[in-house]
Amino acid sequence: MTMIGMEERAAIREGFARLLSDKADDAALRRIMATESGHDAELWKAIGDMGLTGLLIDPAYGGVGGSIVDVEAIMEEAGAALLAGPLLSSAVMAAALISDSTDAAAKARLLPGIASGETIATVAVTGDKGLWTRDDIGVSADRNGVLQGAANYVLAANVADVLLVIAKTGDELAVYEVDPKANGISLQALKSWDSTIRLSRVVFDAAPATRIAGLDGAAVERMLDLARVALAGEQAGASRRIFDITVEYVRTRVQFGRPIGGFQAMKHMAADLLIEVESATSAARAAAQALAAGSTEAPVLVSLAAFACADAFHQVAATSIQMHGGIAFTWEHSAHLYLRRARVDAQLFGASDYHRERYVSALEKAA
Amino acid sequence: MSRTDIKTEVEAFLTTHWDSEARRPREGTSRDFAQKVFEAGWAVASWPREWFGRGLDKDDSKIVAAAFRKARAPGAGQDRTNIAAASLMNFASDESFKREILPQLLTGRLAICLLYSEPGAGSDLASIRTRAERNGDVYVINGQKVWTSGARTADYGLLLARTDWDVPKHQGISFFVLPMRQPGIDIRPINQITGDSHFNEVFLDNATVPAKNRIGAEGEGWKVLQTALAVERLVMGEGAGERRQGSSKNNVVSLIDIAREAGQLQDPLIRQKIAQATAYRQLNALNIARAKEELAQGSSSPIMSLGKLAMSRILHTDAAVMTQILGAASMLDGPEHERAADINYRTANAYMTSIGGGTDQIQRNIISERVLGLPREVELDRDVPFRTSRAVTG
Repeated sequence: MTMIGMEERAAIREGFARLLSDKADDAALRRIMATESGHDAELWKAIGDMGLTGLLIDPAYGGVGGSIVDVEAIMEEAGAALLAGPLLSSAVMAAALISDSTDAAAKARLLPGIASGETIATVAVTGDKGLWTRDDIGVSADRNGVLQGAANYVLAANVADVLLVIAKTGDELAVYEVDPKANGISLQALKSWDSTIRLSRVVFDAAPATRIAGLDGAAVERMLDLARVALAGEQAGASRRIFDITVEYVRTRVQFGRPIGGFQAMKHMAADLLIEVESATSAARAAAQALAAGSTEAPVLVSLAAFACADAFHQVAATSIQMHGGIAFTWEHSAHLYLRRARVDAQLFGASDYHRERYVSALEKAA
Repeated sequence: MSRTDIKTEVEAFLTTHWDSEARRPREGTSRDFAQKVFEAGWAVASWPREWFGRGLDKDDSKIVAAAFRKARAPGAGQDRTNIAAASLMNFASDESFKREILPQLLTGRLAICLLYSEPGAGSDLASIRTRAERNGDVYVINGQKVWTSGARTADYGLLLARTDWDVPKHQGISFFVLPMRQPGIDIRPINQITGDSHFNEVFLDNATVPAKNRIGAEGEGWKVLQTALAVERLVMGEGAGERRQGSSKNNVVSLIDIAREAGQLQDPLIRQKIAQATAYRQLNALNIARAKEELAQGSSSPIMSLGKLAMSRILHTDAAVMTQILGAASMLDGPEHERAADINYRTANAYMTSIGGGTDQIQRNIISERVLGLPREVELDRDVPFRTSRAVTG
């Protein structure tokens, strides 16, 4: 459970929103998109100084001892601003995975740096099929901890100091720590349709690695569920922002002598999208609360949030372009950046069909 | 009186008079219990003492309603939920009429029906043409109403009728409490596409209503109605919330059960559809839960106004998925084919939600105007004398 109270959470969120509107507005985002790294080191330091990189990390290791409820809240703001960089991969995925281990040495070695933001970590979870399932792990470890194979679609690996690799060891999964610049590891930067998100394929050829004790396939699933809820928060926040931008536009854009938002064709689209936006917010927050509380409803609610928020964000972003008309077909308008993020987010950690299947299975078990 | 005192008092009342385990009064009939609730002032706790209440503020009266909810006892919170009583209290001018009728309303001794819609006034309710003409101490009513449920058992009807044809449509309407048991009122059931007859047409042929039964001034009927509708929406929104809490799980089970029974549960396509249909329902439930939380924390929430539109998608999707599960068997009907009959009934009945109480399209207009601040619909006859509008001239 979280050590952060409701009022404190609201204050953290507000501070983060202010930081993002100061330092990560549309112009700033476009500057970062054009850089090679896709990473704003100065902004990252400010995020770390606010304690947000240590939200999930125990105070004993320099974190603030929050929970996924706190993470979900700040991810709504991150999504609204389409924040680029390693927040999800380092402060959520890597932090959650190492915190879940029984490896005191690894925790002492890695968590303080991740908590402060000085260390950027990421996790290589999926193979070339990009399914984020147990069957789609492309890396194997031998008994000496030497890695062979490839991981794909690794988030922000290009700026990572530490790479955590999910690898097969016989029938089980294990987690290994490597330095991405070490011998036997090659990073291939992939061009992403959303250039605010940097993806890499990582090839391991007899790469020596350090095993992190106490992590198995179940731990990987737990980490992925946290990542899915964080992503759901991002999707909820992003869909609300592009929706607000769109409503404001149709309220003020005049054609045929009146604001186009007065046409029912527009009003009805807007009303339908509002249901999507509100539903995404409700789903992301309910999943976060269920996970944090260890509720028996968590499997149902996490799967629901995973597909409902992905689909909502995609529908809102896609429809927003249509509602804007020509102006949103220009590169300069931000609507397409939301669509790009929506399409990339919709694939991360499993696509909607996969989550719908998990949802029905969880419902069957709960019945 | 402090908040704790109120809580203590209302809980003591309930302990004495209500068996929350068995959900029935400790002694006497439920009508006797309603009378006790009324006499104690719990029925409308926020109203003044001289008007059957306790003069409590909003927060204190919520404590009363919460205690009743917790004990699952009926009768409290009617200052918020009893549409007829709230309208009467707020707008009726004749004190003796109020004193006569409110106690009966608040103890559930009177049945009420709604006489709003007409064949020519559905979505555009303000273009009603039922006429009320003053004749001494009474108004004489002529016209036709539709979609009235409970017309046969009602003691009174809340009636919207036109008293002035020479002003714009919203300004010429008056609101009445019409006695239903009188000659001049002819009630005929409407046969619905489901085969049910929940609703009636009501023909008004020189029916009369005492002038003291008018609620609000002449021409203020539209304003009175808006207040009544606001209460109704609130009640429906909360009701939908509570209903779905209970029915969510049933629905989950039923879609999965229907698929299993039809041997389709392992079909991956069907499973996707079940997930989507169930998700719509669960998302609506989560929305309502969050809205209540936000309201409790004092911030306003637009979500309540989305519930009806969301519900019509839920019901239509459910029915479509059930049809897909059943396949060719969905062509059948009747007691021999119970599952098909049920699904076909649901398919038709879903329109009750997507049309009744304002179509989905009207709902979208309302949401976009009131929640999102988009421009109002153009209304060509808004500012012309009703007599000259197309509602009359055709």
